[in-house]
Amino acid sequence: MEPGQRESRVIDEVTAAGWIEDGMTVAVGSPTPMALLRQIIRRGVKNLTVIDVGLSLDMLIAAGCVRKVVSYYAGGGFGVPVAPAFRAAAQRGDIQVWECEEGVVTSSLDAAAQGLPFLPWRGGVGTSLPDVNPDLKVFQDPIGGETLLAVPPTKPDVAILHAAMSDAYGNVQHVGGPGWLDLFMQRAADRTIVQVEKVVANEEIRKDPWATTIAGADAVVRVPYGAYPFYSRGFYVQDNVHLKTYLDASTAAAGGAAAALDAYLDRYCREPATHADYLERIGIRRLLELHEY
Amino acid sequence: MPSDASAQEIMAVFLARDLKDKEHLMVGVAMPVVEAAVRLAHLMHGPNMDLIFFGTRMNVAHLHSLPLPAFAWDHRVVRWAESYSDTGHRFADVRHWRKRVFFIGGVQVDPHGNTNLIGVGPDHAKLRFRGPGSVGTPTLSTHVGRYYIVLNSHSPRILVERCDYRSTFGWGDGGADARRKLGLPGGGPRYCVTPLCVMDFDDEDKHLRLRSVHPGVTPDEVQAQTGFPLRRLPDTPVTEAPTDEELHVLRTRVDPGGRLRRM
Repeated sequence: MEPGQRESRVIDEVTAAGWIEDGMTVAVGSPTPMALLRQIIRRGVKNLTVIDVGLSLDMLIAAGCVRKVVSYYAGGGFGVPVAPAFRAAAQRGDIQVWECEEGVVTSSLDAAAQGLPFLPWRGGVGTSLPDVNPDLKVFQDPIGGETLLAVPPTKPDVAILHAAMSDAYGNVQHVGGPGWLDLFMQRAADRTIVQVEKVVANEEIRKDPWATTIAGADAVVRVPYGAYPFYSRGFYVQDNVHLKTYLDASTAAAGGAAAALDAYLDRYCREPATHADYLERIGIRRLLELHEY
Repeated sequence: MPSDASAQEIMAVFLARDLKDKEHLMVGVAMPVVEAAVRLAHLMHGPNMDLIFFGTRMNVAHLHSLPLPAFAWDHRVVRWAESYSDTGHRFADVRHWRKRVFFIGGVQVDPHGNTNLIGVGPDHAKLRFRGPGSVGTPTLSTHVGRYYIVLNSHSPRILVERCDYRSTFGWGDGGADARRKLGLPGGGPRYCVTPLCVMDFDDEDKHLRLRSVHPGVTPDEVQAQTGFPLRRLPDTPVTEAPTDEELHVLRTRVDPGGRLRRM
């Protein structure tokens, strides 16, 4: 009997975004996997529960993809204390906020990864977190009687991450390490898609197996500049001018003037059919200016 | 005494003097006064301090100047990092946080040093003002050896009788044993520093108390900008002014761009 071939897990960004369906729970890592998030916006996916922070979260909300947010921090950056679309949608009641903090998020993802009904956490005891998030239960621990929070699992259907490289079989290696939540997300999620700057030979991975951060991602998507306009460690810095353009448009939309935001989302998320089409709109000149050093 | 120090420079110098060598100083986002304060302390008297900016840990006492970064994850401004927390669990070693000092802002702060980053309004599902979220402040304030509440402005909208939501537990409803009763191991908030004054906490009931007013500010002015009655000393001192050397180091080696003079 023929043994068969080891299967490649490399798929394109359009196919990968097709894994995301209405109503799913999606964890978004760091560096920010923007190529896939743009495809999700382009597909018009609705009612997602999103674990994310900052302006990528803001963009998903602005595009109407989000029903519920698991976020410990939704700052806008650039002196804007709160991401504008997040703030406006939360104030209107259009999105539900699963109120939490960093230690609660990690406990929740670990509970999912470990198949537990909850994990205990102390940070948040005495605060309003369990009042405004009824999923968090205050309890007395059965060993010493201490007051703690019981944090239930958050189970992402899909974790979407960005990394430096992978081989065709989902052996992922980062430059400068994964974002601090990435591996929590990957361990907790049913499936993980990692978009990478480059796909390398299996031998390249075998040269330094200790450097492999994710062993066996379910899908690998090759998208150079795929984190743009955010940074990708070892490759490029973030484009603050572009991000500010988005932030200004989102701020205006939150104030009632949606034209610039609609135009932004059309031009950069909805119209380009592929990542290559998107990069053509940004332009090679701008991309080369962002080289890290 | 240099008379031209800005309120933010006075805040930074006050905080810097209160930080001790060998402490681990953790600074979050959007706190320029604190970013300056820890650098000043590092240069003036803290060659063994660990500076932790977001997930970046460094000791840069060997450098001549430590200008403020524009964005702490950008490789171009974190090139001095000795380690990153991102390779593991940020909160896996909270038992070692007794040496750690943290700084926290807030949408609201109440008389017992509880803070709110969640938002303002009676209905959490439709807040009148949606805040950025609690970040890591509930866990940090639970475990660090001590922390400082540092506000970019001082107004009765921020310093309120009661926070609409508590994202950190300072001294709860008051009392020196409030944290111990809940089993919170950290030392709690030490000072609340604003552009007008420094407040500490009454030893017994842990209510905010006016410790000193910055030069040119009166205690009555502070009270008028505070949403609850502050404890007052019989004679409120003036916040200790920066020395010539402190201001010189601050302006030439920490904040050459003058950000703390323009706020």
